[in-house]
Amino acid sequence: MHRFTGADRALALLILALAGVGFLILVGPVVVVLVTSFTSSRALQFPPPGFTLQWYRDLFDAERSAQIHVAAGNSLLVAVLTAVVATSLSTAAALAIARSRATWSKVAEGAFMAPLVLPGIAFGLAALMFFSWLRQPPSLALLVAGHAMIAAPFALRTVGASAAGLDPALLESSAALGAGPWRTFRRVTLPLIMPGVAAGAFLAFVSSLDNVPVSLFLSSAQTDMLPIRLWGMMETALDVRVAAASGVLVALAFVLLLAMDRAVGLARRMSG
Amino acid sequence: MLDHPQPEETKPDRDARPRGHRLDIDGVRVRYGQTVAVRDVTLSVEPGEMVALLGPSGCGKTTLLRTVAGFIRAEAGRVLVDGAAIDRLPPGRRGVGIVFQSYALFPHMSAAENVAYGLEARRLPKAVVVRKVEAALAAVRMEGFAERRPRALSGGQQQRVALARALAIEPSILLLDEPFAALDRALRLDLQLEIKRIQRRFGVTAVLVTHDQDEAMSMSDRMAVMNAGRVEQVAPPAEVYDRPATAFVAGFVGTTNRLPGRIEARDGAGYRIRLDAGATVAVESARGFDTGARVVVCARPEQLALTEAAEGFPARLRQSLPLGPALIHDIECGALELKLHAARHGAPPAPGPVRIGLLPGATPALFPEGETT
Repeated sequence: MHRFTGADRALALLILALAGVGFLILVGPVVVVLVTSFTSSRALQFPPPGFTLQWYRDLFDAERSAQIHVAAGNSLLVAVLTAVVATSLSTAAALAIARSRATWSKVAEGAFMAPLVLPGIAFGLAALMFFSWLRQPPSLALLVAGHAMIAAPFALRTVGASAAGLDPALLESSAALGAGPWRTFRRVTLPLIMPGVAAGAFLAFVSSLDNVPVSLFLSSAQTDMLPIRLWGMMETALDVRVAAASGVLVALAFVLLLAMDRAVGLARRMSG
Repeated sequence: MLDHPQPEETKPDRDARPRGHRLDIDGVRVRYGQTVAVRDVTLSVEPGEMVALLGPSGCGKTTLLRTVAGFIRAEAGRVLVDGAAIDRLPPGRRGVGIVFQSYALFPHMSAAENVAYGLEARRLPKAVVVRKVEAALAAVRMEGFAERRPRALSGGQQQRVALARALAIEPSILLLDEPFAALDRALRLDLQLEIKRIQRRFGVTAVLVTHDQDEAMSMSDRMAVMNAGRVEQVAPPAEVYDRPATAFVAGFVGTTNRLPGRIEARDGAGYRIRLDAGATVAVESARGFDTGARVVVCARPEQLALTEAAEGFPARLRQSLPLGPALIHDIECGALELKLHAARHGAPPAPGPVRIGLLPGATPALFPEGETT
């Protein structure tokens, strides 16, 4: 039997302490903003002197928060379209890369993953200059294009992981049984890589929803985005509705995460 | 044919009409980069026949099968079904059914959905699909497992479903790629017998890829022994065993004792050979050898025997092991190691010096020395 020595115990305590610090740093701010969003004070203040739902009422008030609602609508629309575009393109790319052993596929994968390490600000500026050079006025379509670029690596990774586990004999089986490429994709490939596709779509959606650097450059007054609007409100008025909006976003992400976990878990069971 | 499966009892195999299709592989060459995996192979499979492609791994047997299936394009040569070239057709339109080594059942579909897959791809009416799926599952005795997912089936059951799926589309040619490799030994024989029975009953032309000579022997009507991309011999299993065409076949199929020697003289239908071990034997052979040529006599364990006669060569019996009704003698003769197969009666002989001779009437194979590997 292995006996725990003093050194072992010290190491365990150290790891526990580090985990505690990490947990505090990761979760602490979220708790602070959630608690603050219920404050009865008129300022962003922690700890709050009392609690009220007033800021949530204000946030959902169609008249007083009309601008926020427009920005939120834009953000949600762009996030959904980004998830669709980024996941579709990444799925196509991931399947081709998984199937190919050629050098170009490694190069292509590197290129698709590049936005992950590219500084967001630099990419935002570059995208703005590029689209102005093409004489494209700011629009939601441009925002989707920009966000999809940033979101694609996430989807490529998750779909790629699923596609790598796909037995090539299944695809050959399907072809030998007379199925064309489209039927094979719809009936065999897609159901089997669904966990990766769902996870990729979720990550793309979330990364678009809270994207600041690209939206900063590509949005305009007509295409206002929620994170940009919230930042503007913070700068001018320290509006507590920002905390309430953050609370809503955290809740939304949490619900989506649970939904995705259920869907992916379900897909796993289906493929089992 | 799947619509009306006949009970086996009322329809013996020999009454089954040959409904199969003819497969011709004509001068097929396949190259992977610099490596030639299949070298100008020509092979015909008669309607309803099962031919086994037997060989060590890397001999090109699987590549040849995949070329017939349409997954690999041949650099040269043609593949014909009933005389029509199918080289330019995609796998799904070649009329081939394949059972993969891993079975490749779709894990997210039930057994019935797996079997229905190929029928649905052919856009058959739903009622027809349902009927054919039922018939195919019944043919492999899996009708009680239609709604099970592959993961909920044993290896043998998965293999039956894979076979049903391949047969449901009523293929001209059935391709079996090491179909028993993943099964344990006890189950293997049962399934081999069953698949053989089903193949006969459906009269489907079949190609079986295997590295297991027992499997090739028991299942195939003829076997094609492959080595380094070439077919070395195509013949019924008994003929391959009794009259191996090359030294490779003699060594790969069954056990062989290699006895080097020198041609002394022609002798009737064969030659008199002076063995290095110190005896003169007569071996029939249709091949031409010059007097004095170096040769290797390839004798099966049951073609040699311990003998009292003076014409035998001296050796040393190391041990004798009982193997069922037989006795295996483990013998040392200079640098040679020999295995003898004898009937077991009485007490086994004691280890020590013995004399070994060719059993009267035995016909070992004879090859030039350089050919033996």
